[in-house]
Amino acid sequence: MNGPVTFDELAELMKARAGLSVDPREMERRPEATFADFDLDSLGLLGIVAELEKRHGRSIGNEAEGCKSPHAFLENVNNQLSAAGV
Amino acid sequence: MSQPISTPSRSARNRTRPPVITGLGVVAPNGQGAERFWKAVQRGDSVLRPVTRDGCTHLPLKVAGEIDGFDPSALIDGRFLVQTDRFTHFAMAAAEMAVQDARLTVDPERPFAIGVVTAAGSGGGEFGQGELQQLWDKGPSFVGPYQSIAWFYAASTGQISIRGGFRGPCGVLANDEAGGLDALAHAARTIRRGTDAVVVGATEAPLAPYSVVCQLGYPELSLSDDPQRAYLPFTTDACGFAPAEGGAMFVLEDPEAAQARGARPLATVAGHASNFTGTDGWSHSRQGLARAVRDALDEAQCSAREVDVVFADALGVPEADQAEALAIADALGPRAATVPVTAPKTGFGRAYSASSALDVATAVLALEHGVVPPTPNVTGVRHDLDVVTGEARTASLRTALVLSRGLMGCNSALVLRSAHGDER
Repeated sequence: MNGPVTFDELAELMKARAGLSVDPREMERRPEATFADFDLDSLGLLGIVAELEKRHGRSIGNEAEGCKSPHAFLENVNNQLSAAGV
Repeated sequence: MSQPISTPSRSARNRTRPPVITGLGVVAPNGQGAERFWKAVQRGDSVLRPVTRDGCTHLPLKVAGEIDGFDPSALIDGRFLVQTDRFTHFAMAAAEMAVQDARLTVDPERPFAIGVVTAAGSGGGEFGQGELQQLWDKGPSFVGPYQSIAWFYAASTGQISIRGGFRGPCGVLANDEAGGLDALAHAARTIRRGTDAVVVGATEAPLAPYSVVCQLGYPELSLSDDPQRAYLPFTTDACGFAPAEGGAMFVLEDPEAAQARGARPLATVAGHASNFTGTDGWSHSRQGLARAVRDALDEAQCSAREVDVVFADALGVPEADQAEALAIADALGPRAATVPVTAPKTGFGRAYSASSALDVATAVLALEHGVVPPTPNVTGVRHDLDVVTGEARTASLRTALVLSRGLMGCNSALVLRSAHGDER
């Protein structure tokens, strides 16, 4: 996954919005790991989606908010952003 | 994990012995941690001072008890801090201290054996204000999702429960200043029904712009700009109370459960009562407070003669102070003229529902040390009470009575007994 949203940006958002220190390389290495494994709750993910929507100036939608893992989340978000030609 | 439900329930057991406090944690303007707090209280330090909080300095409230240098990250993981208001930071930190003091740990086989009860009067005002400003300045998408939980009165109970894995009965009392005492009573009932231990107490963080503005409507709030004169209950100079932030948390425990794990009891919660006399003038609180004292002593099977020290509500409003002095006389009879009465909170302010929790912490420490701490700044008491002013007094203390009244009309009394007496 090459972005536009990267694991580094996701880790940065998890720190800023949910107070979590997560190693982006670990998220990248473990496709099976869930947000719960990294202690991110659903409200935390909601805050991250809101921040990404602001950064990219568009809606990312409800589906992303329901993603259980960082890999699934980035795939969903980046597909949406790439399709929009961002 | 084996089936926790199938482990023998203690609820069937008839628990008649009153619960014991086995740990306490304090975050107060005059000290963080029970030890520092007690030293300051015993010396009679006065830490009331001009309000310095951002966005508050231009407001009519000039003097308060602020907490400096509070670093929650030393005790609490960052992910819990970003989701919560300052009042919950205080609660989590004080709960952590209390749990450490009690050496309480969760038995993975019995996760429902420990509950959490807190009282809160104003909730997460500072956090809420920040998010509402985002809403009005920028729009709905700029409001963080944790607003949904951080402002709420129950936030501290929830976060302490989640963080500690305390999955037993939980509750919150949004019950005025007296809530700090009522929370302990609620926890005691929970223990009598079969829960081994409850992490219980109250904290408040009312020194932020929105919260301060809300308080300006209270005629009892002192607007004096002199830290030494802003909060002088029981004197002819009484002009209201100075608010404060902070609070105290405790571990309250079934005495047998405490004994079984070798915990050291600090004090016994022997009796409590509460009632309501409304907001139609402070003189009505005389009857309510006297009744609460009698009922609490009844429950404790304690006579008025046995009361060794009274921690007064000490609102600092002449009519309310008079009502309290008369209530103590009504309820304690001849003992009222001789029992030492103290209000150490005149040195650091009144933290709403956490004020009575801090009074309980002070009372527990007083019983433990055999010292009645003084009432800072107060001289020239105009009531027929033996108010302890100036220096602390050494005394043999077995029974403490803690009084609390709320601005909305609640009256409560709590009787604490020294735990050392039980061992003899």
